[in-house]
Amino acid sequence: MQKLIGSVLIITATAGAGYIYGAELKKYLEKIQYLRYIAGLLKGEIEYTGAPLSEIFFSVSERVKEPYKTWLRQTAVRTQSRDENGFSRIWNKCADHYLKELNLKKEHLLMVKEPGTFLGQLDRETFGRSMQLYLNRMDLEIEKLREGLASKKKISGWLGIMSGIFLVVILL
Amino acid sequence: MERQDRKSQILKILAKSIRREVEKITDFAGLQEIRLRAGKPLMIICRNKEAVLPENEKQHITTKEEIRETMDYISHYSLYAYENELRQGFLTVEGGHRVGVSGKVIVENEKVKNIRHISSVNIRMSHEIIGCADGLLPYITKNMQICHTLIISPPRCGKTTLIRDLIRQISNGNQYVRGSSVGVVDERSELGGCCLGIAQNDLGIRTDILDCCPKAEGMIMLIRSMAPQVIAVDEIGTGEDIRAVEYAMQCGCKLIASVHGLDMEEASRKPVLGELIRRRMFERYVVLESRKHPGEIRGIYDERGSVLCRN
Repeated sequence: MQKLIGSVLIITATAGAGYIYGAELKKYLEKIQYLRYIAGLLKGEIEYTGAPLSEIFFSVSERVKEPYKTWLRQTAVRTQSRDENGFSRIWNKCADHYLKELNLKKEHLLMVKEPGTFLGQLDRETFGRSMQLYLNRMDLEIEKLREGLASKKKISGWLGIMSGIFLVVILL
Repeated sequence: MERQDRKSQILKILAKSIRREVEKITDFAGLQEIRLRAGKPLMIICRNKEAVLPENEKQHITTKEEIRETMDYISHYSLYAYENELRQGFLTVEGGHRVGVSGKVIVENEKVKNIRHISSVNIRMSHEIIGCADGLLPYITKNMQICHTLIISPPRCGKTTLIRDLIRQISNGNQYVRGSSVGVVDERSELGGCCLGIAQNDLGIRTDILDCCPKAEGMIMLIRSMAPQVIAVDEIGTGEDIRAVEYAMQCGCKLIASVHGLDMEEASRKPVLGELIRRRMFERYVVLESRKHPGEIRGIYDERGSVLCRN
């Protein structure tokens, strides 16, 4: 009886771990999608209002959830205080500091930092085009993540169950 | 306190290395201009005297990088937000200080589209002279109301400073004039010194400003939208401006305007404006000069050209 209960527990635990891993993958995709949504809001605000970056960040921060809200607010505050030589430094530092909890992969963090190189530097027309290219690249990245997601979720679920069975077999 | 604010406003927009040099200026209250030119010494104009910074030491040569950094700070890292202002060659920062720029001009359809590769920056401190219109107000008011007034003045004789103080006094009201709502069309941000739509100079409590708006269009917009009792415009010149002035006068608004000119005669010879003067549309004419100092009143005349006051 004890063996049976132990086996069930092991299989449940490994299957659960597999399921959680799958859910994490989905969450990660949602984070990237949310970042894409923010980039879209920034583009729209800049094109429509033409206001300085600090105002844009404040206004967009009102419409997004945490931790993105704090990230944009702090970027706005630092932009207003004009302490850094170049906007990209402010953007990079704030992304590193306030988006740490998102645990983004290195390539995705680099992607988030990319607008720092052109935000505020170009005329509105060129900015619009650069931002559109950036958004297209983000869409492509999201598509890549989404494509792999279904199969990865399935694999992680089955892998969880199988590894549980494997452990049970070894232990028995 | 105010001086400290003015100092910090200016220091905040300068590149860090330039900031260090400007901070050393002892007579900051007398500072009028800071001139940055790529590859040239850093210069200031203080109490009408030019000086190279740092004084008594090796000259500081301004680099392109410092100009770029300064432009970043001036524009809050958002040059695109100042495209329209840059097209005119200047932008206004907090405190109403004027930043003039020059560099490579981008032309499209024979019109200036933008300025890139900025190589010179000229920061001009704003100066409001509160009360400079005190002596003028009794002559241009009737029954506690302002008269249609035209200020005639050669350049650099203080007409903008005078109009600014007139607007403030008419808007707030005093013993000569009842406080009235004033609409200001500030085509070049000179009157209000607006930064992001907010006037940095004191234009009174009943003043509405249309910043960076063409004068003729702006006057009509104000009449339709803000119902002003008085409209103020600086430097009317084109036929379109003057026709809009006439329209505003016929809409029940009192008008204060300025025009470039030496005296009444010269103003009367201007093609469209001359016609308004002959039809006695303006009730008062104020002629300025700058013999001892800017803003001296040479004469005040009524609609028939009779002298009310002469210096």
